[in-house]
Amino acid sequence: MSIVAHLPRRALTLTEEEAAAPPTMELAGRKRATAEERALATTIFGEFHADSRHREFVLGCLNCGECTTGCPAARFYDFSPREMLQIAQNGDATTLWDAMQEKIWACCQCYTCNMRCRFGNDIAGIISVMRELSVRHGIESTRRALAPFGRSLTLLMTVGTQVSSDMIQPDFFRDWGPFATGSDKVWQVSADIMRKAIPSDVLQTTRSAWEVSVQTSLELFRIYEETGVLDMLRGLDPDLTEMLVDIIEERREEFAEARERFGEELKGMQGPVATFSG
Amino acid sequence: MLSANEIRKVVEERNVHQRGTGKKVLDVREEMYHLEEKGELIVHRIRPENRPVELRTLFGWTKRIPTDRLWHHKSCGQCGNIPGYPSSLLWLMNETGRTYLNEPHQTSCTAWNYHGTATSNPVALAAVAARNFHRAYETDHFPLIHCGTSYGDYKEMRKLLVENAAVRTKVREVLRKMGRDLVLPEEIVHYSEWVHAMRPEIVARQKHPVHGVVTTVHEPCHYYKMVPEDAVYDDAVYAGQRPAVPSGILLALGATVADYSTWYDCCGFGFRHILSEREFSRSFANLRKIRPMVEEAHSDVAITSDTGCVTTLDKSQWIGKSHGLSYLLPVLSDVQFAALSLGAHPYKIAQVHWHSASAEGLLSKMGIDWRSAKAEFQEYLRALKNGAAPELLHPAHGEIEKFFAINKGQVLPDPEVVPALSAGSATTEGGPAA
Repeated sequence: MSIVAHLPRRALTLTEEEAAAPPTMELAGRKRATAEERALATTIFGEFHADSRHREFVLGCLNCGECTTGCPAARFYDFSPREMLQIAQNGDATTLWDAMQEKIWACCQCYTCNMRCRFGNDIAGIISVMRELSVRHGIESTRRALAPFGRSLTLLMTVGTQVSSDMIQPDFFRDWGPFATGSDKVWQVSADIMRKAIPSDVLQTTRSAWEVSVQTSLELFRIYEETGVLDMLRGLDPDLTEMLVDIIEERREEFAEARERFGEELKGMQGPVATFSG
Repeated sequence: MLSANEIRKVVEERNVHQRGTGKKVLDVREEMYHLEEKGELIVHRIRPENRPVELRTLFGWTKRIPTDRLWHHKSCGQCGNIPGYPSSLLWLMNETGRTYLNEPHQTSCTAWNYHGTATSNPVALAAVAARNFHRAYETDHFPLIHCGTSYGDYKEMRKLLVENAAVRTKVREVLRKMGRDLVLPEEIVHYSEWVHAMRPEIVARQKHPVHGVVTTVHEPCHYYKMVPEDAVYDDAVYAGQRPAVPSGILLALGATVADYSTWYDCCGFGFRHILSEREFSRSFANLRKIRPMVEEAHSDVAITSDTGCVTTLDKSQWIGKSHGLSYLLPVLSDVQFAALSLGAHPYKIAQVHWHSASAEGLLSKMGIDWRSAKAEFQEYLRALKNGAAPELLHPAHGEIEKFFAINKGQVLPDPEVVPALSAGSATTEGGPAA
């Protein structure tokens, strides 16, 4: 029998609709998966094993536990990279589905487990594959886990930087103390002036980590469109995705206007400016 | 624990397993040139103008570090909330007479998001990397990667693009739609490797001795645990058993580098945790890193060389007071520490006021008159408020560059030539296609 059979199972997370519905059959105090969830779990299991990275990342396991001993997340969460690797290697659709409800999001992606593994498994990598699948299939627990990321995803998808200084608002980062935002209150000037005091013009913005040219952001969005990232995001959060498309549409218009405005200066230039169609 | 010998063993084991599939290569750098010969990609070569310095990697390979004519691949976390990090690096380059481009035509690697939310995929990550590589190439400046995660991710993506023909084809297809082509740099270079290569020139300009300063180093995970064979090691640093960066520059400047029991642990950043589950990040940072740094090593300052690590170790400390952990150990990047030691302005350049744990005690220990500097900075802010022009480390960009990645005199690939590359046309030896 596989070690996985002995691993503790977690309850499946309820959707709001299910939570509001009349009670259904329960097993050992936990709600059983719906038929729909079981079907999805089977699909995900198939895709997981068909992913070429599975063969590259999962190489074998002695159950030595070296990975878990050095794991930062294992110290604070009900999480073990050894368990994740065992599920990737020997688990069935249900154990994979269970792990994808919560545990995969505990991993810090620090790669310490990879460095301690005598088999050379890429445990952090296989957890990323599990995460990708949970996003692609828009499973409810993943929606909840990623709900706080709307702002950073918007920034990332539209200008390609993960943070901006105006994201570090005292209300949301109270635990960082009074100096974390460039201490504009301490210095009695606005956040804009604090950014202006950084000695590089491209960094003097509060709305992004640095000023990103319109061409650059349109090229990035083209990458997202062409590589399936936009479709992936649409499955997770259709409203956010539509908003992103609208923002980019505006940037495309802005780019077209700039092309007219700077027409003379752009004439004769070679390379991407001349060929990029937006 | 995670010594060079142990890591080598793991990497060798992995290579043996993976090369059994017939697709894997040990050193992707060799394979890049084979692919270039076949017209599948362009290798962005390090040229004499880049003034390369040779360093040694974990596997004993020679890694050429370009020290001049560099394209700054900025870090979103550094620029967003610890801006003294990139500005100290630019300042050091100005001081040592190095040339560079710091442009608005760069995206981040997007890997923070990938490791945090998985809302991407390897083809997209590879295309993002290749777009930035191509932009550096067309400006004829060699990319210098500021972030440890970008550095690790780009090494993974370079490996993927070399080993996986399907991904390569797809990425090339995407790039061509925006008039770009597939370019891979000869080396993926982290800025801390530039610092290590530049030690003699940096130390020659030192103004504030740091002999009395006890530092503890946090080694960024994505510097040496992702594609570890390529990280720089040096026999003069921990007998070659730990990465050479950033300890090398601290030793060269004369600081004490003190050991502590959890040096190999991550910082607690966690990618998603630092934004949505900070109770983990701050607990880990305070209990597993800051406490041993202070209690075991009696550290005056924690030094690291990555974005997330400075952020997590620094910003997590203030709240520690609520649990009786009142360490408030200053946390700086290696370049901030080096720049301060060379006389950089603590506020205008090192921007220490963005840090949660005050660095002022450390500045005093380094013999820096921070009170005068602070008063001067206050005056500067008032002037900015009244409309004064900001002081800059490099010329400002024109209005047109808010929109277009323009030609600034560099040699651009001829659009007629680039699409023909897959048919086997050659690139100019040592530089962009003319």
